[in-house]
Amino acid sequence: MNLERVVFGFFIILGLSLNYAFVAGGVGAPAHHNVWVLTLAIIINLVAIGLKLGDRSQTGALLLASGLVAGLLLITARIVWIVVEPDSGGAPGPRGMADIVSIATGALVANIVATVIVVGDTLLSRR
Amino acid sequence: MTPTSDLDRVTMIVLRYMRRPLFALLFVYSVGIIGMALMPGRVVDGEATYMNLFHAFYFFTYTATTTGFGELPGGFSDEQRLWTIFCLYTGVIAWFYALGSLMRLFQNPHFTQALEEYRFARRVERTREPFIVLCGFGDTGSLLARGLSDHRSRAVILDSDPERIKALGVRDYAVAMPGLHADASKPKHLLAAGVEHPACRALVALTNDDDVNLKIAVMARHLNPRLRVICRSTSSRHEATLRTLDNVTVVDPFEIFAQLVCRAIARPELHNLNSWFVGARGVELGVPVQVPRGDWILCGYGRMGRWIHHHMQAQGIRVRIIDPEADTGDVGEGTTLIPAHADRETLEAAGIDDAAGIVAGTDHDSENLSTLLSVAELNPETFCIVRQNSHENQVAFDAARADLVLQHSLTAARRILKLLISPLVQELIDWLAEREPARTEALVDRLRAAVGEAPPHLWSVRLLPDEAPAVTEYLDRGGAIAVGALRLDARAFPEKLPCEPLAVRRAGQSIMLPDADHLLEAGDEILFCGIQWAEHMLQATLHNPYTLRYVVTGVDGPRGYVFTWLQGERETSAQRSH
Repeated sequence: MNLERVVFGFFIILGLSLNYAFVAGGVGAPAHHNVWVLTLAIIINLVAIGLKLGDRSQTGALLLASGLVAGLLLITARIVWIVVEPDSGGAPGPRGMADIVSIATGALVANIVATVIVVGDTLLSRR
Repeated sequence: MTPTSDLDRVTMIVLRYMRRPLFALLFVYSVGIIGMALMPGRVVDGEATYMNLFHAFYFFTYTATTTGFGELPGGFSDEQRLWTIFCLYTGVIAWFYALGSLMRLFQNPHFTQALEEYRFARRVERTREPFIVLCGFGDTGSLLARGLSDHRSRAVILDSDPERIKALGVRDYAVAMPGLHADASKPKHLLAAGVEHPACRALVALTNDDDVNLKIAVMARHLNPRLRVICRSTSSRHEATLRTLDNVTVVDPFEIFAQLVCRAIARPELHNLNSWFVGARGVELGVPVQVPRGDWILCGYGRMGRWIHHHMQAQGIRVRIIDPEADTGDVGEGTTLIPAHADRETLEAAGIDDAAGIVAGTDHDSENLSTLLSVAELNPETFCIVRQNSHENQVAFDAARADLVLQHSLTAARRILKLLISPLVQELIDWLAEREPARTEALVDRLRAAVGEAPPHLWSVRLLPDEAPAVTEYLDRGGAIAVGALRLDARAFPEKLPCEPLAVRRAGQSIMLPDADHLLEAGDEILFCGIQWAEHMLQATLHNPYTLRYVVTGVDGPRGYVFTWLQGERETSAQRSH
C-alpha cells in the first residue's frame, strides 16, 4: 500500500462527493444548495491539485489537468454566488442559483473524469 | 552539365513529337479563322455584314472539333457556307493528325518507359518513411519483399524483367512497394530508386547475375558511400572485390544453405532455435530434429555441393559424393566419388544401406525428388535433406518424404531479412555456433520458460532520449540499471515479463546473453525475444520514470512535490536521530 495513493485517492473522491452534494437537488431551488459545501469542495479540489504537482507521468498530467478544470469551474461558481447574492443577505434568487449549479455540474464532470482515471490506473497496475 | 530529370525528358519528348501536328493545327486554324472573317455575310440594310474575329474563332472551334452547333451566332450567307465546308474538312483532318500523333507517342515503348520512370522517381522522392532498395525481384527478392512487408518495412524494387514488375503489381503487401522495370546497374535508375534519398536505409542486390550485382554494389558505393549494401554473390572472384568495399555485406546463398545443412546435421539444437527465430513452419522450440551420426551421401557437386562438402569436412563428417560431372581431383583425398546420376544403382554403390543420411542437392527439383523416391525404397531409415530450387514446386516437396526441405532462395531471403531487421539475431546464432551446445540448450530452456508455445517476437530497444526517455534520464542522474531489472513486470513485482534479453550492443561491441545484473549505459541497444504484449509493457517501463524507478529499486517512490518533500523531511529526521 502506498501512502501517497491513499491520500490522493481520499482527496479526489472527497472532492467528487462534495461536488455532488452541492449539485444535488433542484437546479433553481436556493434551499437545496449550501454555500459551505461549495466552499469546502473548492478547498478539497485545490489540495488535490497541490498533491499532483511534480508528477511527471502521463496519468499525473491528465489528473492535474482535470483537477485544474474542476477547480476553475468551482471557483467561478463561487464568484457568481458572491455577485448574485442580494445585499440584504440570504441565498441568491432562482435564476442566479440555476447559473451557479450548472457551472458546478460542469466541475462535477471533471471530477468524475479524474476519479475514473485514478481508479482505472490503479486497477491496470494490479499491485 | 546538369543532369536532366525524368520530368524534363518527358516534357521534351512530348514537345518534340508534337511540334509538327501543333504547327499544322495552328496553320489550319489561322487560315480558317481569317477566311471566315473575310467572307461576306448576309446583307443587312444593303450592306454585307462580316463576322468579327472572336465569332470566327468561336465558329471554327466548334466546327473543327466536329461539335457542330449549327449556324451561330447568326444565319450564314452562301459564301460563308462555302468556306464552312472548307473549314470543316481541313479542321477535322488537322485534329485527327494531331490526335493520331499523340496516340502514337503514347504507344511508343520508349515514351511509356520514360513516363514510368518519371512516376516511379516521383513516388520514391515523396517517400518519408525509411525504405530499402531491392534490385532483383526473383524468388529470393519476392520472399524478401514479403518478409519486409510483414515487418511493416518499405522497399523500392527494380527488376530488368517487366513480367516480374507486373507480378509485383498484384501482390498484397501491407506497405507501398513501388517497382520499376529497369536495369538496376545503371546509376540513373539507382538514383531514381532513391539511393541518395535520406530515408534510404540499405540497398540489396539480388539479381541472378553476379556481374550485375557487383556493378550495382560498386555504383551504389560511389553514389552514396554511407549506404549499407547487401550483395548476393556466388563467385569467389566477385566476393574478393566486394569485400574490399567497406559497408558491403556479401551474401552467398549457396554458402548460407550449406551452413544451414551442416548446422542441421551437427548442431540440431541450434538449427531448431534458428528456425524458431525466423518463424519457419512446423518448428517447435526445444524439439530439434534427430539427425543420425555416420557417413553422408551428397548428390550434386556443383557450387552448392562444394560448399556443403567443405562445411561437412569442417565438422568432421565423412561424405560420399554422387555427381556425373565432378572430377576425382576436385573432391580431395578420402572422399568417395561416384561419377554418375543418383539412381538406384549408384545409390547402392554409394552404400545407401549404411549411410546416416543423404543430401539431395542438385539444381534440378525433379532429380532431387526422384532421388528421394529411390532412397525411400532402398533405405527408409536414412535421414533425407533435400534442396528445393523453385518456389513453385512447394506442394510437391511438402508431399515428399523428406526430413528437412531447404530452399536456398528462402534461406537467403531470411538471412538478408535478419541482417536488415535485427542483425543482432544472426550475431547471436553465430556466437552460439562457436560455443558448446549446452549453452544453446540453456537458452532454449529459458526461452521456453519465458515464451511458452507462443510464436517468437523479436524486437530491439535503444536507450536513446526519444526511445527510452525514462532510462536515459535515470542514467544521467547517476543511477544504475541492470538489464534484468528492465524485464520485471511492474504490475506484479518482482515477477518477470515473458521476454528474455538476448544481446546488448554497445559502441559496435556485442555482449551476447547478458547476465541479469549486467549494467546498462545510455546508447545501448538491447535485443529482446518474447511475446508481443511484453513489448508494450516494456515500452511503458522505458517511458514512465516512476514505473522504471519501481522496477529498478522495488520502491514505489513519491510522485508529487508534497510527498517528495515529506519523504525528504522524514529521511533527514531519521538521520538526525541516529
